[in-house]
Amino acid sequence: MSGARTFAITPGRATLKRLALLVVAIIALLLPVIAPDSATTGIAVFTVMYVGLASAWNIMGGYTGYISLGHAAFFGFGAYSFGLMLNYLNMAPGYLPFVLVPVAGLLTAALAIGIGWVALRTRAATFVIVTIAFMFMLQLLGENLVKLTGGGAGLALSYSHEWGGDFFNIPYYYAMLALAVLTVGVSWWIRRSKFGLGLLAIRDDEDKALAVGVPTRSFKLTAFVISALLVGMIGAVYAYYVTYLYPQFAFDPLIGISMVLMAFLGGLGTVSGPVIGALLLEPAQLEFAYHFGASRLYLVFYSAVFLVVILLMPRGIVPSVTDLVQRRRRSAAGPTTPTRGSREAVKAASP
Amino acid sequence: MTLVLEAAVLGILTGGVYALMASGLTLIFGVMRIINVGHGALVVLGAYLSFALFRSLHMDPFLSLVVTMPAMFALGVVLQLVFIRPLKTDREALSVLVTYALALGIEGVLGYVFTTNFVELRAWYENASFGIFGFHITWVYVFGFALCLLILGALFLMLYRTSFGGAIRATMLNRTAAQLIGVDVDRVAAIAFGIGVATAAAGGVVFGITNAFNPGSHYDLISRLLTIIVLGGLGSLRGAVIAALIMLVSEDITQVLISPVWANFVFFVILVVILIARPQGLYGVRVRDRI
Amino acid sequence: MRKPLSMIAAGFALVLSACGTSSNTAGGSPAPAAPITIGVSLSLSGDFSGDGKALQQGYDLWAQDINAKGGLLGHRVTMKYVDDASSTQQVVTNYQTLITQDKVALVFGPFSSLLTIPASTVTDRYGYAFPEPAGGGPKVFAQGLHSIFFVQPAAVEDNLVSYTKFLLSLPSDQRPKTAAYATEDDPFTQPQIDKAKSLLEAGGITTASYKVYPAEATSWDALALQVVNSKADVAILGTQEPDAVAFVKVFQQQHYNPKSIIETTGPDQGKDFADKVGANNTEGIMVPAGWTSSAKAYGNEKFTIEFVAKYGGAFGDISADAAEAYSVGQVVEQAAQKANSIDNKALITALHSGTYQTIQGPMSFDSVGKPQGGVGVYLEQWQGAQAIFVYPSSVAAAKPEYPKPNWP
Repeated sequence: MSGARTFAITPGRATLKRLALLVVAIIALLLPVIAPDSATTGIAVFTVMYVGLASAWNIMGGYTGYISLGHAAFFGFGAYSFGLMLNYLNMAPGYLPFVLVPVAGLLTAALAIGIGWVALRTRAATFVIVTIAFMFMLQLLGENLVKLTGGGAGLALSYSHEWGGDFFNIPYYYAMLALAVLTVGVSWWIRRSKFGLGLLAIRDDEDKALAVGVPTRSFKLTAFVISALLVGMIGAVYAYYVTYLYPQFAFDPLIGISMVLMAFLGGLGTVSGPVIGALLLEPAQLEFAYHFGASRLYLVFYSAVFLVVILLMPRGIVPSVTDLVQRRRRSAAGPTTPTRGSREAVKAASP
Repeated sequence: MTLVLEAAVLGILTGGVYALMASGLTLIFGVMRIINVGHGALVVLGAYLSFALFRSLHMDPFLSLVVTMPAMFALGVVLQLVFIRPLKTDREALSVLVTYALALGIEGVLGYVFTTNFVELRAWYENASFGIFGFHITWVYVFGFALCLLILGALFLMLYRTSFGGAIRATMLNRTAAQLIGVDVDRVAAIAFGIGVATAAAGGVVFGITNAFNPGSHYDLISRLLTIIVLGGLGSLRGAVIAALIMLVSEDITQVLISPVWANFVFFVILVVILIARPQGLYGVRVRDRI
Repeated sequence: MRKPLSMIAAGFALVLSACGTSSNTAGGSPAPAAPITIGVSLSLSGDFSGDGKALQQGYDLWAQDINAKGGLLGHRVTMKYVDDASSTQQVVTNYQTLITQDKVALVFGPFSSLLTIPASTVTDRYGYAFPEPAGGGPKVFAQGLHSIFFVQPAAVEDNLVSYTKFLLSLPSDQRPKTAAYATEDDPFTQPQIDKAKSLLEAGGITTASYKVYPAEATSWDALALQVVNSKADVAILGTQEPDAVAFVKVFQQQHYNPKSIIETTGPDQGKDFADKVGANNTEGIMVPAGWTSSAKAYGNEKFTIEFVAKYGGAFGDISADAAEAYSVGQVVEQAAQKANSIDNKALITALHSGTYQTIQGPMSFDSVGKPQGGVGVYLEQWQGAQAIFVYPSSVAAAKPEYPKPNWP
């Protein structure tokens, strides 16, 4: 069955998983107490941001197999809508502006309906490129609608000057964390729902899914919009955190590619994969550039690590490790045919 | 009006090089069903190779193609063997990441060797121009355009008049069927990738002589090339050529009639409108995408 | 010190980064005469990496000089550079890390003006003084931060003011009637062009054409053709280096000979510019410049001699970026002496009063860090394959050549 979990759950495993989750949750919640210096919390803000982004991207890219390289469009749109609302409503900086985050998310979702309607007429490679095109269109709008966005000179957001020094990062950290938890929760819920089953069926074989009665068009669009909504909200918090937006940094193709990369690294279409991918990659990247950027070979190292990971673990960490663990167990229990991921299972079953 | 005409002429002349670069990209897609996100970086690499030959041996940029095209062909074959062929599952998506990583690697190496300052390819005739209809056209644009036509012509001849071209086209149409009729699909893929990369070298020279470039130029380049091949229809050489001309002419005319800052936007609007009407692009064939 | 690679290996970066750092004090001033580190985030890779290196040279040279004098108030200075890869996330992370983890005593500004603003909000939060050589657009000062100091002779938007004064000072029969403007939509170039345009229009010079083009463009021919077709008497161009070269080439190819050409950046790059457009073609081209290797400003001779000794090349090849970075050091040095402290709070107070001598001339700062009372930005012109000061006459090494001679 395409929706079946990719691995068998045994009681021992489940307990272990729950325990691991608990540890992660405690660390995440207490991080600002354990390490209150802003070098750490600053990296944590961006790391948790990417946990959310990669998981949100995965709802579309991982579950349906439609690879969007243009999700930075939603990130930037959420960021700019938040910034503009904040400025036009003349809201006092502090905790209150966080209520605008869901509004920015909803605006982004509305935009995603339009983009999705056009982009989802295409498939596979064309879809990939169309999403990039939309991202650049929004970037150009950000640059050219100077009266609204400030254009290339950027958009300044007000921020609380009372949150000085090491405290500043903490509200943003918890806001990002809340969004990341929400996103992972949604992702988990979808993975177990009938809707999620439909999405996975689309990934495995869209024509066949349509034939067996999955409303592919509305399912794809729904996944796309949910994904965009979450990304837009995260973009809004980002805007409030960095306090200054430029079109080329808010609609940055590298942000779009980073979320894809993290999801791939961790394991496409799994709930935990994008989380693990982001936890590994983002701090590593920030640290790497900080310590080795000056060597000018930073890009070469980065690309080499990237290539090795993809070539050695093309399916990502979570599926590869799961396979390994399973194979060990099987060989201990006696020879059986190893079960593979859901996609292969479906492919093998279909003539 | 003269301005619009002038812009159109310039658009066609500069469109030639985009047609050439996009052809290589769409050829690679057609044969292997992969999006080579590293194509822009390979173009920039080609430009830098010619730049290095000019700097050390004072070799004319156009002449240096005799050296760089075979070298880039070999590089293309090697890249295909080492990085693309091992991808078994999920090729389409993974190839995007692999080729993106290659692009970053190329950018990093170029930045290390040549620094990130902008450079341009030079030739003694670079400022020579001739007058026609009351405006001046620079010879390098004409040479570049002619070179692009020449290579595109050779590419079409190879595809439609040789047996190897037949094998490529068969692979593009249906990989499995081509295999069944005895085409060595892996070999075709490696050579096609090599050819695509070799055309990137030629594109690099023409691009480098008409544009300032640095190792980071590939981001902008690849986003333009990708939209061109989607507008033309993925895998269609003819489509790539037409779409490249549409892009450059529409951009240059927008610059004149509206404003330079909206130039790219107009092309994207054309792209979206055409995709609403024809999701497969101008010359694309609607096929089942997953093979 | 954390090691990133071991983090990757350990596979749980967050936990490690949480355990790896335990201290939580913000960087205050260290014990007297202890060695100090000054942190800078530079764009050493990515879009803006071109000039990062020149800035680094300027900072390094200053550090060498100050250490030769026995240090900054006796504190030996070490510079620490980290790369921001031309990205906002990275520049924010970098300054946070420099301040809270590496505990640098002082911070200096990054190269790209785009990154100066996000960086300054971070440094301001920690009460650090932020003298910076590159971010001087109106938006920088609109933030209203008291800790930022733009170390150039004038705010960016005033860069072309000298040029407009020069044009309007010409006798009316020679004065140009029309001007064509083209500028990148960049916070560095566009404010200059817009201000020049409004001043010249007020002075009676008609605008023949005004075009803004994207900063990411790499081909400028169609645009340059429009300037050509405007047949304006003067061409005023808001460029960075590559487009500065492209405009000159197209003008020459099209046999367009305006009476005057000025470009905001490009012609100030010395030999590099001459190589790219051809030395013969440089004659008469103008550029606003706050600094020149031959200026008789405070410490300039020493700077140029040492620079050439350390990095090679000729006086004319020294980038203004390096001079601006060196000036940042000079300003901080004098402020430290005045406050008799290297504490950031004391430095900020000191910098808001008094005048500071730099190789770019004297300058002082208003409450939001805008340079004041300086000599302003001069006008430099290429004459005989060399860029020299030509206006105002108080600093001029030669008379301005006007009209500009036709292309060779």
